[in-house]
Formats: sequence, structure tokens, C-alpha cells
Amino acid sequence: MADLASLDISFTLNGAPQTHSVAPFALLIDFLRDDLALKGTKRSCDVQVCGACTVLVDGLPVSSCTSLAADIDGKSVVTIEGLAEHGKLSPVQQAFVDHAAMQCGFCTPGMVLATTALLERHPHPTEQEIRHYLRGNICRCTGYIKILEAVKSLV
Amino acid sequence: MSAAERPDRVDFLDKVTGRAAFISDLDVPGMVHGKVLRSTMPHARITGIDIDAALSMPGVIGIVTGSDLGGIDPIWGVSLKDRPLIAIDRVRYVGEPVAVVVAETEALAEEALDAVMVDYDPLPYVTEAAEALAPNAPLIHDGVQPLKDFYFKGEAKPVAGTNIFQTYAYETGDVDAAFASADRVFEDSFDFPMVYHYAMEPHCGIASFGDDGLTVWSCGQAPTAVQKVLSRIFDLPIARVRVITPLIGGGFGGKASVKIDPLVATVAWKIGRPVRICFSASESMLTARRLSATVNLKTAVSADGMLQAKSVEVLMNGGAYADTGPAVAIKAAIRAIGPYKIPNLRLRSTAVYTNTVPGAAFRSIGGPQGVWATESQMDIIADALGIDPVELRYRNMLKRGEHVRPDLTPIDVDMAEAMGLASQAMSRLDAQEPHRRIVHGTALGIADPANSPVAGVLLRLKIDGSIAVISSSIEVGQGIREVLCRVAAEQLGQPVAAVSALTPDTAIAPFDWGTGASRSSLMMALAIEDAAADIKAQIGDIAASTLGLDPARIELVAGGFTADDKRYSFADLLHPYFGIDSGELIGIGRISPRSRGGALAKAPLFWETAAGRCGITLDEDTGEIAVKRYVSVADIGRAINRTGAEGQDEGAAIMGLGHALFEELIYADGQPVNGTMIDYHVPTIDDVPAQFETVLIENGGGPGPGGMRGMGEGAILPIAPAIANALATGFGIRVKQLPLTPERVWRALQDKKDR
Repeated sequence: MADLASLDISFTLNGAPQTHSVAPFALLIDFLRDDLALKGTKRSCDVQVCGACTVLVDGLPVSSCTSLAADIDGKSVVTIEGLAEHGKLSPVQQAFVDHAAMQCGFCTPGMVLATTALLERHPHPTEQEIRHYLRGNICRCTGYIKILEAVKSLV
Repeated sequence: MSAAERPDRVDFLDKVTGRAAFISDLDVPGMVHGKVLRSTMPHARITGIDIDAALSMPGVIGIVTGSDLGGIDPIWGVSLKDRPLIAIDRVRYVGEPVAVVVAETEALAEEALDAVMVDYDPLPYVTEAAEALAPNAPLIHDGVQPLKDFYFKGEAKPVAGTNIFQTYAYETGDVDAAFASADRVFEDSFDFPMVYHYAMEPHCGIASFGDDGLTVWSCGQAPTAVQKVLSRIFDLPIARVRVITPLIGGGFGGKASVKIDPLVATVAWKIGRPVRICFSASESMLTARRLSATVNLKTAVSADGMLQAKSVEVLMNGGAYADTGPAVAIKAAIRAIGPYKIPNLRLRSTAVYTNTVPGAAFRSIGGPQGVWATESQMDIIADALGIDPVELRYRNMLKRGEHVRPDLTPIDVDMAEAMGLASQAMSRLDAQEPHRRIVHGTALGIADPANSPVAGVLLRLKIDGSIAVISSSIEVGQGIREVLCRVAAEQLGQPVAAVSALTPDTAIAPFDWGTGASRSSLMMALAIEDAAADIKAQIGDIAASTLGLDPARIELVAGGFTADDKRYSFADLLHPYFGIDSGELIGIGRISPRSRGGALAKAPLFWETAAGRCGITLDEDTGEIAVKRYVSVADIGRAINRTGAEGQDEGAAIMGLGHALFEELIYADGQPVNGTMIDYHVPTIDDVPAQFETVLIENGGGPGPGGMRGMGEGAILPIAPAIANALATGFGIRVKQLPLTPERVWRALQDKKDR
């Protein structure tokens, strides 16, 4: 079925150029998880309210559960697997570890990527900006207290 | 990795890099995918299921319905045997599994779901507990069988011919006489809604049958309960049911006892291939929720505010299947007592079936329901008597060592200290950011955890000094793997970096009751104490027989031990013992009610307590509450991982904030009307109080190593009544129903104006 109407897309994934064929209806989350075996992107709400499936597309946080894989053609995608370089955590990842800003870890990839995007755009966000930017990422374990601490430590 | 580089928890690096594997990330060879067709009817006879069209759709491998259960026991439960593996001829709530379509991919299974046609013959239904009690209410079950000592100790007491699946009564003193002679008697009724756990990871499971029996990758918080239930369903020996529990993306009780594994395993059994079923988040909302409750309190008080008698009457809505609801009903009544000296006490609790999502355990079972009522009423009493609410609590407070109830272990913390620290911390926060419109409210909570002292652990000390901890305690976010590592390291005198905690697997891990009720850190720490003692004894024996050392002079140090000022590595011991430069020692720790001379059999083993104080503002035009500052205090005895313990406390408090302000699963016409992630709001980062402080007291006094006790649930208890109490203090409105939505608060403000 996908062969009949598949689309060729070229994009950069975690810094590396890629070309793939995808079904026009394929969701970005399924493409990443099932076709590329990048399981760090988490599925939860399916309706773009929880942020667990957040990836960065051209530096902006996007819910991959409600985005089409075809739409990343020509764009740059960063998933949680792409943040650490040569085993060295990114500053956001390191801050989350240092501040114990995770518990079950299911929201963590999305939360870390959303924070990464926040700090790219606003290197010195106010508390209000942090809250505004991250309110699309739900965490049920931490009560957000240590997440706020981690993000503020980077400002 | 050097100690300085070691993260705060053993699971953080995987989690922060996306390597952490949850069940939905696993791939079992030959695995196919199931999707669940769910009842659209609250209560109905199934008159027909047409699967032919769906069976012929692309990729569909098979379809399982209630007519496929021949040869296995189709009814299961953990408190009462009341629940079909999949609906058999009848559905009892909207969302009940009716058919499972299995296909090569999830997408193909989902497409074929629409082609399965179910014919229903509607039956009268009931979604409210009070209506389910009515003499003419539709009967939801024709008869159910209590399972004695099956999961919890004891058994449920259903009432035949009614919807009641649990009744509980307790009485001490002369309650009626106290009411008759009291200066004042206060009667109030409080409502607590159904709320959903909303773990970020929806329920997911994989099951596979083979020559070695049944293997399940489970998200269950109690692997051995899953194992037992599955062994009964399929008539398999327990040892041939293997439950593996990878990292779990949050549970909060929503994955406790047994939830989806019987369904997943049944489908795998019928299809004959490994099957993976991952629920959507909306399906998980139709899987379990907290029991809603109406709590009627009648309290006798002297003119100077001394509590003389209290009657607690709880009615709980348990949904279509009892699950652990019978235990929740008991705990709700007990947890409504509070940390107060009350000489005459009457507790009554009733839980009923309704045509709603099954009620189940949820962080501090029954606690928030009971505490919401009792702590709201304490302020009502204080207000009526003209006594400061904190002062009223001090006057009635139990001292450490005094009894909440004569038959329960005395309270083992100083609640006055906790309340005092809450007030002090709030004063500090107030001073940091003066705000003249802030109104404060206080509440306390105490809970008697059902600790079930049945646990076990294996410690494997390898010849190179590395240590593996093997237990059935699941990592659900609470940080148990780190706790296991730290306690094992401490008990064996080894660096924590030498220790790893393995993925729970019933094939190798000793029996443990389950992960919940704030028990795992404590129970496992006790078991590790014993396992470490076992290993130390073995080291002593071998050192004596092989090296000729005096066991009494051996002292464990990092990487080995010393004796008579000489240092030995573990290889120095084990190489000569085994004859080859390989091998290990295995230490076994087993906890039972008979351990520690029977001391672990007392109930509760410790009290889990919390004091909360909030500072709120209210927009009187809209009724919207803003919780500006919050202080959460608990005496946890001793923290194994201080940061981790703080995180547990913070998470519980903010979860309670959701209960307080927004959360309610609403039913209309038998249907859940907000059963989606879009419609059901939980706290976001924007809802967190600008100032938040957790104060963890480490006074020791708990039953674990170093005086530790369990924690992680307490902070969910006081926050809702603390906020309601602030509303009453500051704005003269007493709202007795949660959540404190803007509409509800606004209406209370209007009613007050109209008065």
C-alpha cells in the first residue's frame, strides 16, 4: 500500500543527511520509532497535549504524534538520541541529571528537547517564559519543581 | 566512573538520553499487535459480535472475543472473583474490552476495529454510588466470590443481592453517649470525585507462550500478583509464568495489583503468537481510576475544642469491577481519623459496584478522600468555636507513641513538630515575597500503609567486587533501583558504583508482595540487611576454612575486607575457595511477618504522615484560585536518597494540587464525558506554586535501617483541604466538594452574597 503512493523525503536527522520513502499518511512519531528505531521519542496522549513525543524540527518543538513524516522533507530533525555528542551530555541533559529533574523518565525526552528549544530562542528566559514554554510538556512524577530548578540553572 | 561523575540515580543516564526502554519500546521476535474494541454501552447484553468483515481485512491475524475462552478460567480478580478476561455476553461499563483484533501492525489492527460489529441489548445502568444502593437499582453482578488472603490479607464482605462489594465497620468507646452529652456536634458531608492516575506511559503489555510456559512483559506494579492471577487463569504452575518488568513510565496505583496482563495473555494464548497490546492514553483512562467518595462526618466537640467522638461514614463508588476497592474502602475510613486523640470512634464504609470505570488503588489508597473530609471539618469546627485552626489541631494532636486507634500501632512521628515546621517555612516564604492578599490554610494527613511484610532479595557478590541486586521491586519512577544500590552498598561496605539493580524478573527474583503502599524502599532495605548478613557470614566461614582467619576480626572494606590489619580482595578469598579465579557469593534476604521477632507484623509498620500549608489568592470575579506558595512537611525517618525523597514529596503534592483544583472524571448518561487527554486537565508547569518548599524531617524512628520509613504518598493528602481551608478563612466560603473549580468557587461566592 505504501509503495503505491510513497513519498521520497530528504532531511537531516541528528546532524546526518537522510533520504527515505514514507507513506503520505505516516506520522512522524511512527516513522521515527518504527522505521528508524529511534525509540526515545515517546507516545502518550496522541493528541498533542502532553509533549512526550516532542522532537525539534528546524529547532522548534513539534509534537511528532500529530505531524506527518512527509512534512520533514528539507528540514532538520533532532530527537533525544541526537543531543549527546560522543557520550557527552548536552548542557540541558546534564542539568536534568544534576537536578534530579526526572523520575519515571517517560516525559524526559520531550521535556529535555522543549527546554533545548526554549534556551535556543531565549537564552535568558524569565520564570514566566519558562513556564509558558514548557506548559505543553506534562510530567506526572516530579511536580515540575526540580525541572524548574534544572532549567533555571542554565539561565 | 568515579563517584564524582556518578549521577544521582542509576537510571538517569538512560532516561535523559532516550536509551531507557519501556515496554512499548520492546520487540519480541514474531510479535503481532492487538487493539481493543471497547463497549460503548454502560450496561448491556451482547447479542452478537460480527467479526467476519474484520477478519478479511489486510494484515488481520485473528480476533478474540468472550466466546473464545473455553479451556481457561475466564473470571478473575484480586479481591473478588468478578471480572471476565474480556466481556462475556454482557458489558458493565463504557470502555470494557469486548473484542481484540490482532494484526501484523498496530495500524492494521486499528483499521479493522471499525469493521467489528457488536449488537447490544441495553440494560438499566447506574453510575452514582447512592443510586447503586437503592433497592430498585440494577444489579451489576449476579454474585461474586471473595478471594481470601489472595492479594491483601483478609477478605471483602459483599452483600448478596445488592451492588455492595465491601462493608466495613469499626467502633471503639461509647460513641452515642459522647454525641448525646457533647457541647457541640458537627455534621458535614464531603464529596471527592473520580480522578485518573494519568501516568505518562499508557498501559502496555507483551505476552508469549512457549515450551517454558507463559512469559509476560508487564507494566504491573505487583509482578507476583500478575504471575499468580495468570497461573490461575491458564492453570499453569506459578513457576512456569514468568513476568518481566522493564522500566515503567509512571503508575501511581494505576498499574498496581493486576490490570491488563490477563487480557494480553489471553489474546496471545488464543492467537498462538507473541502479542503486544499498547493502550492509547484515552484507553488507559478507561482502565482504572480513584474511587470517588462521599464522606459523612459527625464529630462531637467540647466548648474548648476537644474532640470527643467521631463517626465516619464513607460511601465509595467502585466501578464495574472491585479490583482493590475493598481495601480502599477500609483505608478511606481509617485515614479520615486524623492525627487526633478521639476517645470514641465509629467507622463505617461501604463500596458499591456501578457502571463506570473500575475503581482501583491510587497513591495513598482512600487517603485523599478521608483526609479531604476530616481536615475540612477541623477548620469548620475551629471557625464555629472561634479557635485558630492550627491551635485546634495542637489541642487535639496525638503525641508520638499515642494511639490513633487502640488496635493500631501508635503514631511514630511528632505531628506537632511537622505542623510547626510548615508554619515556620510558610512564614519564611511570606517574608521573601510579601503579598498582602495571600490567605493561608493548613491541613494534616496520616495514613497507615498496607505494608504486607512479605519480600525477598538476592545479592550476588562477584569475585571482582561488583554486586547485583535482584528483586521484584519495579522501577516506576520512584527511584527504587538507586535505593537498592545504595542500601546494598551501605550494608556490604562497598562503593555504590560497584552495585547494579537488575530488571525485575519473576524467574529469578524472590517473591515480593509488590511495589506500592510506600513499602518497597523499606521492605527491600530490610531484606538487603538480611541478605548482606548472609553474605558476611559466608565470607567469614570461607575466610576461616580457606584462609584460616578469625571471622570475628573480618571487616568489609571497598573491594574486599581486612583481617588483622591485612587487606584481602574478594578474589583473595574466592579464588582459593573455588580453585579457579571465578565465582560469586549469593546472599538471600527474606522478609515475612515472622522476621525481626515478629516486629514487622504489626500494623501499620509505620505511619506515613504529612503537614501542608498553602498561601492562595482568589480572583473573586472568576472564582479562580491561585496557589502562590505551598509547604509540604513529612517525617520520613531517614532518607536513603535525599534528592529522590524530595522529588517524591514534590510530585505527590502537585498531584494532589490537581485533585484539589481541576481533576474529575465526569459521567453523563452512562458515558464518561471528559475521558480524553484533551478534556481531562492535570497540573502543568504553569500550575506550580511560585514558591514551593519541601521539608523532610529525618528523626529516625522508622522500622528500616537507620530508622527509615516509607514515603512518597503522604504529600498528596493535605493539599486539597489546606486550599479549601484557606478559601474559607479568607473569603468565607466553605466548599465541600472537589475539585475547587472556578465555577464551583464562584457559585459559592454568589451564594454567600445572596445570603
